[in-house]
Amino acid sequence: MIGNFRQQASGWLVNVAIAMTALRTNLMRSILTTLGVMIGVFAVTLAVAVGSGAQVSVMQSINALGSNMALIFPQPDTGEGGRRSFDRGRLTMRDARAIQKQISGIDDIAPQLRSNIQLIVAGRNASTNAVGTTPGYGKVSNLVAENGRFISEADVRSAARVVVLGPTVARKLFGDFDPVGETIRINRAPFTVIGITESKGSSFGNDNDDIALMPISTMRQRFSGDSLAGPDDLQLLFVGFQNGISLPEAKREMTKLLRERYRVRGKDINPFTIRTTEEFMKESAQVTGIFQIVLVAIASISLLVGGIGIMNIMLVSVTERTREIGLRMALGAKRSDIRNQFLVEAAVLCVIGGAMGLILAIAGGTALTVYADFPVPIGVGVGVGAIIFSAFIGLLFGGYPAVRASRLSPIEALRTE
Amino acid sequence: MALVETQDLVKKYELGGETVRAVDGVSLSIERGEYVAIMGASGSGKSTFMNMIGCLDIPTSGIVRIDGIATSDRDSDALAELRNQKIGFVFQQFNLLARTTALDNVAVPLIYAGLGTEARREKAKAKLEEMGLGDRLDHSPAKLSGGQQQRVAIARALVTDPVILLADEPTGALDSKTSEDIMQIFESLNAQGITIIVVTHEAEIADHAKRRIEFRDGKVIEDVAVNNSQKVSS
Repeated sequence: MIGNFRQQASGWLVNVAIAMTALRTNLMRSILTTLGVMIGVFAVTLAVAVGSGAQVSVMQSINALGSNMALIFPQPDTGEGGRRSFDRGRLTMRDARAIQKQISGIDDIAPQLRSNIQLIVAGRNASTNAVGTTPGYGKVSNLVAENGRFISEADVRSAARVVVLGPTVARKLFGDFDPVGETIRINRAPFTVIGITESKGSSFGNDNDDIALMPISTMRQRFSGDSLAGPDDLQLLFVGFQNGISLPEAKREMTKLLRERYRVRGKDINPFTIRTTEEFMKESAQVTGIFQIVLVAIASISLLVGGIGIMNIMLVSVTERTREIGLRMALGAKRSDIRNQFLVEAAVLCVIGGAMGLILAIAGGTALTVYADFPVPIGVGVGVGAIIFSAFIGLLFGGYPAVRASRLSPIEALRTE
Repeated sequence: MALVETQDLVKKYELGGETVRAVDGVSLSIERGEYVAIMGASGSGKSTFMNMIGCLDIPTSGIVRIDGIATSDRDSDALAELRNQKIGFVFQQFNLLARTTALDNVAVPLIYAGLGTEARREKAKAKLEEMGLGDRLDHSPAKLSGGQQQRVAIARALVTDPVILLADEPTGALDSKTSEDIMQIFESLNAQGITIIVVTHEAEIADHAKRRIEFRDGKVIEDVAVNNSQKVSS
């Protein structure tokens, strides 16, 4: 049994040796053929990697948001049919407090108002997205002040003119100078910078550090007067949950609570929308999955062209070596021996091309990661997969030429000049 | 039982709309240990006949038996095995693999016999040494003389220890001195009990054999024992 296996293994090794000799004999041709497979494997591998990079990127940005949380918007939830009971969505500070009080497992909440603001200091200016919120925001969004302090309850109570800047905004306004304690003007009113947040990097070209945070009361007074339906309204509510809490369950409970508060009945549409990070992850996994499939499908075309090149050159090789095939048959080669010889030759060509394509893809992926700040992970699995897939391409496209070679009549092949 | 036996062997070709009977009803038998020369002009059918007893070509009709095995009821794999184990081929143009060492050339039949790397090397080396090429193991055909190349080819034909050696114009590409050397090798192999069948159109080559079969128009016209002068003198 073991002896038989060793014989077979040595038979395959012989085929690899024969293939290497044949490929060296037509070196230029072999290289050109390999190039086709190389480009194909490069394209497919990179497409797979970019796809999974997109997935990683989305997961990172969702994690940057806070991993175990629900987002509630004052927008009618149009997910299912039914009668609209409200013209516009509603969500108030009172709703937020009710949720915090009545739903179990909540870590903290962060009610928010958002607006674009203009910041000016000593001739420099920057515009950014400002978030008016409460101290809970830091906890829910995993955001801490790296320098200075975060917004406090006292700031919220007194509607203090204080602001916490994201690193990007701070750099735009102050360069390398430490801005904590400095006064800046936001839409003409003077504000004191009380802290700088730690960097959260960027996701999908979106700079998470281009942000300014102020007390929600300050924001309400100064920047979002008319756009809200009521004096107590919110634009967004983050609800952070403790680890191990079931988000779908929490979502059901919050929905029930808010429906009672707004007296929504039967199948009527809710005036609010609740989304959880879990749902975001599922949805973006779907989207990036489709993105990846499309990308790989396009890249596969180049691999197909490479495979056709392999078939073409293998047919030429079989024709050129007809006499050798006849000789081998005369010396006792079975049809399967001849077939395997040419299959191995095609597979060797493809695996060499595949390995080069893989190296190229790793280089390309690294360049993208370094220069475009887009993660392109090529793991061991992708690498091994690319090589196995290359061999498969060789067997697929080398199959027809190999079978043709094995069907030759020994005497006719031997007579060929 | 004859080693090689044919009955009413026929091979027909379609050539330009005409049917050519290359071999036309040949029945003969060759015993173990014989040394046979098959002669005839080109187109006489002698090569076609040899290709059929070498299981390289398939008869249109009739029977070929090698060592009692009828080739007509064997599939291509069984015929490959038969060629590998019972028949050694020597060709006019040597048919060595280019860019491949003498040792690897001789080892080719052993690959198909299923031997491992070490066993292949050992056997191939032994056969090359028997042919006096022990110092040429790593030479490629391009670095060998014609006579040396043919001796490599003979070593390859014998490496699986076949019972029959089939040689098609083995000296056709060699000068007369080298031809004589090859003939000496054939005689000593025959003396060791190997059955030899040589196809040739040269009378001097045929004179080394013990039996001469002459073909013309696909038929045997003469089948005689040769009065070997060398044998008589020794």
